[in-house]
Amino acid sequence: MLAEAIVSDVLSLARAGGASFAEVYAERWKSRTLRVLNNEAKEANSGLSYGAGVRLFFGEEIVYAYTNDLTGDGLRDVTTNLVRLKGRSGRVDARGRGGLDFRRAVARGLHGAQVFFDAQPKSYRLTLLKDADAGARIAPEIQQVDSLLSELDQDVLVANSDGVWVEDRRVRTRLRVVVVAQDGADLQTGSYAPGLSMGLEFFDRHPPRDVGRRSAEQALANLRAKPAPAGTMPVVIGNAFGGVIFHEALGHLLETTSVARKASVLTDKIGEQIASRVVTYVDDGTTPHAWGSSEFDDEGAATERTVLIERGELKSYMVDRWGALMTGYRPTGSGRREDYTYAPTSRMRNTFIMPGDSSIEKLFEGVEFGLYAKDMGGGQVRPGSGEYNFGVKEAYVIRRGRLEEPVRGAMLVGKGPDTIMKVVAVAGDLETSPGMCGSLSGSIPVEVGQPHLLVSEIVVGGEAR
Amino acid sequence: MTLEEAKRYLLDKAKERKVAMEVLGQRDRELSLKARDGRLEEITQATQGGIGVRVVAKERVGYAFSEQLTPEALDWMLNEAIENAALQHEARGFLPDGAALGFQDLAMGVFDAPMEAKAETALGFEASLRKDPRVKNILIASYTEREREVRISSTQRADGGYRHGLVGVTGSMVMADGESRKQAWDSDWSRQFGALDPGRTALELVERTGRLLNARPLQTGRYTVYFEPKAFAQLLAAYWWLWNGRWVLEGKSRLGGRLDQPVASPLVTIIDDPMLTEGLLRRPFDVEGTRTQRLALVERGVLRNYLLNSETAQQLGMRTTGSAARRYSTTLNVLPSNLYLQSGAGVPMKDGVIVADLMGVHAGANPISGEFSVQAFGLYVRDGEVAYAVENFAVAGDFLTLLKNITAVGETLEWHLMGMGIGAPLVEVQDLSFAGT
Repeated sequence: MLAEAIVSDVLSLARAGGASFAEVYAERWKSRTLRVLNNEAKEANSGLSYGAGVRLFFGEEIVYAYTNDLTGDGLRDVTTNLVRLKGRSGRVDARGRGGLDFRRAVARGLHGAQVFFDAQPKSYRLTLLKDADAGARIAPEIQQVDSLLSELDQDVLVANSDGVWVEDRRVRTRLRVVVVAQDGADLQTGSYAPGLSMGLEFFDRHPPRDVGRRSAEQALANLRAKPAPAGTMPVVIGNAFGGVIFHEALGHLLETTSVARKASVLTDKIGEQIASRVVTYVDDGTTPHAWGSSEFDDEGAATERTVLIERGELKSYMVDRWGALMTGYRPTGSGRREDYTYAPTSRMRNTFIMPGDSSIEKLFEGVEFGLYAKDMGGGQVRPGSGEYNFGVKEAYVIRRGRLEEPVRGAMLVGKGPDTIMKVVAVAGDLETSPGMCGSLSGSIPVEVGQPHLLVSEIVVGGEAR
Repeated sequence: MTLEEAKRYLLDKAKERKVAMEVLGQRDRELSLKARDGRLEEITQATQGGIGVRVVAKERVGYAFSEQLTPEALDWMLNEAIENAALQHEARGFLPDGAALGFQDLAMGVFDAPMEAKAETALGFEASLRKDPRVKNILIASYTEREREVRISSTQRADGGYRHGLVGVTGSMVMADGESRKQAWDSDWSRQFGALDPGRTALELVERTGRLLNARPLQTGRYTVYFEPKAFAQLLAAYWWLWNGRWVLEGKSRLGGRLDQPVASPLVTIIDDPMLTEGLLRRPFDVEGTRTQRLALVERGVLRNYLLNSETAQQLGMRTTGSAARRYSTTLNVLPSNLYLQSGAGVPMKDGVIVADLMGVHAGANPISGEFSVQAFGLYVRDGEVAYAVENFAVAGDFLTLLKNITAVGETLEWHLMGMGIGAPLVEVQDLSFAGT
């Protein structure tokens, strides 16, 4: 994407200007989206994104610039400007402007695609989306089926003044089906949106018909549902996307972006019991073809499997380059960004709670009155107070250990460090599910996951009588 | 190629290929200065942009965009757009007739200040936040300026552009008192550098957050609510979709088919005014080249308008409201510019809960069903006086019911930037459900 001579020149220019570390990140990606509404093709869009970000460290201080001008002159101008912003021009590094000796690493294709973008015509995609639509038509109440296919093919180059030169290719495919069911004036929604790091062979794993049907089933369940109860109660959280609660309530608190500034309530707690003993929590960037996987992070470090919490004890944070510099913790290949318009920060990849030894039946057995949160929406957290919330997309009431009527409109609210201590039992059915995680360095693909588990009490925001 | 050259290249190619084409070029500039411990810890400087086309071929519409402005990239983009158009089921696409609109510079003087003064704004803001000993940690204390230049041209003779800009300070921090901790975030935006007052913004953020410390749990029940401007703005930003003409067409809006009917309390008037003097995001015309106008969405409780572009207007048999919006990389939609709930006669407080801030609105508010259940932070009010802070609760309801149950509206509008300019005063709502302990 960029000639070695240009990159080398930019990095040297930065070092000569007094930067203690310099990094060039360049990318070019093609994207396609196609939306089918009620069996008719609506908007189809294609795009080519192309840009670079230059990041310089002056000790602990960072300057960052991005541009679409990837010519040698363009990148040199950007770098000179950054150096001038720090007011350090004139200082010359001992290495001067000589070339750097790069250690080249190219992705091995661990998450690579088999069926690329151009291998199939656009009409092929239309057929798939029409299948998803047909799969959702399971009842007369299904009013609307909205399917969106997103395909991304991204080439990334990261090079830095430590001699790192990494090239990675990331191909991702995702199908989102949103179904609206109607009964009189009552409109309810259901959705399902699997996604993987692979090409169009994605549809072998997730037949569009199944995706449509699952979305429709959820919309119908919500149409039958009554308003959720309100108050504090035991909650059984479903597997797969149920893991979003600990992504929000725990994961974000373990990123060095917060920890390095002592802005997380879980700062300086390595080796301490911070969760219930049934909880082992892992962030894995290497799971083959997972939505949040890549061979290298966006700082050019190889990704890895990081055990964050083992049997309740805090083992590691998620550490990027700046985080390592500030805290001294070992980097974990967790530097990520949405695209060149963001400087990287420490972020999650595929984060999940490991299987426990309880059976699913046992989770429900002791619950006198509670909530089964089968599928979740998104959520939010404030790491400084640990306060979190997340929406429940599909839920049922538990009475005397039995699953009863569906309820809707529930929101789970609490403080992460309290909730994670209140996990009383974890089942063995670990599954993961994709999502987009928004934070300081933009919106990035991640997976969340867990088996079914029981939390002894959470505030459920429903409708008070 | 420059954006201008790329635009000409594409329009020429469109003529060759006998398709109608609209070209949208955008150029953004950003400067951000983040302060920490009395120095600038992070500086970001950027320019970025691209070009997007909307093509109509055989009355079918297709889109594509590129940030790379080489002939190969532009040819790929054009081919993709034409192929995308061929996929379309409906054949009633068109580009509106355009006119020469000239160029309007709405950013004149916005950024006028030396770099040192901008750095001082960030540093001064951080120092002011730090004055209160309860402020334990500052996550963000920054000065940001944003500039956007928009140019549109079409084979239907639309041609024009404008530039607008904003400056602002953003703060995020953790306050603590004993065991009680609260994290808060706020930003203050302006269209004049000279109008920023970082000291005052810092003081407000500290005051607004500090009063929420040492909160008690709230008992589950139904209460009268006093939404502070920011909290009501958060709800309005989540539910503006109800007025989106496309959502009306697609049957996703519960306001569909209810024009000129009462949908809210008579105290409710909701306006979108793209050229409002005090508005944060101004645009003289929309991305299709239609002149913008002050648009009453709800007038004294009666639904008056939807937000329309030429496409949704045609399909609904109405006229475009000049609300068309898209970035070069996205497809045609609508977006309010400066959306606000008009101020009223004031709110006499009695008994209830002040909701100061909401969290998780993106997950807990469903604009299709209208239902919401979101985490809230606030203060318990007894006999018109704040009794104590409350936490760990969620407020739930239905947005359209909430609009009907508004019983008083405050006198002063407060503006926030939430993907659009959003203005709201203090709002009193009867009988909302709270889930706590």
